[in-house]
Amino acid sequence: MAAEPSPVTCIEEENLFVQLTHDRLDIASIMARVKSPKAGAVVLFAGTTRDSFADKPVVHLAYSAYAPLALRTMQSIAREVKGQHSLTAIAMVHRLGVCPVGEESILIAVSSPHRLAAWRAGEQALEECKERVEVWKLEEFGGDEGAVWRANRDGQAGARVENAMDDVGGQT
Amino acid sequence: MSTPKAPAGHFTLLYFASATSFTRKQHDFFAAPLPLAKLYNAIEEKYPGIKAKVLESSALTVNLDYVDVEEEVQKGDGGLVIQAGDEVAIIPPVSSG
Repeated sequence: MAAEPSPVTCIEEENLFVQLTHDRLDIASIMARVKSPKAGAVVLFAGTTRDSFADKPVVHLAYSAYAPLALRTMQSIAREVKGQHSLTAIAMVHRLGVCPVGEESILIAVSSPHRLAAWRAGEQALEECKERVEVWKLEEFGGDEGAVWRANRDGQAGARVENAMDDVGGQT
Repeated sequence: MSTPKAPAGHFTLLYFASATSFTRKQHDFFAAPLPLAKLYNAIEEKYPGIKAKVLESSALTVNLDYVDVEEEVQKGDGGLVIQAGDEVAIIPPVSSG
């Protein structure tokens, strides 16, 4: 019987790195990936779990993903943004599984010779990720409030779910 | 993280987010070949109400490529046919970050 190939959790190209991980995100590590003597500017965005959504207290967020597709999409976005802004380097990491309040769920780091491109690229990369990457956020309100699958697109109320925690984990 | 392997003569349908909650499953196997145009009805038969609640607001991928279900339906007999071993996924509205 042929062995199952190990699942891909990151894609690495020259000066480009995208990753999905269940581990706590490592800011020092992602900064190190993009820093370069060629780059005078490094911009880091960190998205963290907030303690509320529309005034409702949130216990935690849990992320799941269609991993091979999410990575592919992150790679496309990274390539596009790197090219458009002539970046020196770009790295994007998304956390999967439970992400407690106050912890980072996404890190985006970009570097470029000068700061304008870095600011713009960082923003563009995040907006593209939120629009396209095949990752889903389950907002856990706790107790009777249950949980809701969020949708980033404007105007979407989210889909309410019972016994939410049964649905998270396993499949990433 | 690995995808379940479909038995011979079947394709894998992956569920995510609201689709997982609705079906209470992470995947199903369906008999192949199946024209894409017939897929939603096949899923609805198994999970009544899923079309309105989930499928209509979701995207669909076949082997990691997005497909326009409406477009394939319009093509009639000339539309995409899902083959055995294919990996089809229901992609509800995403929410990363």
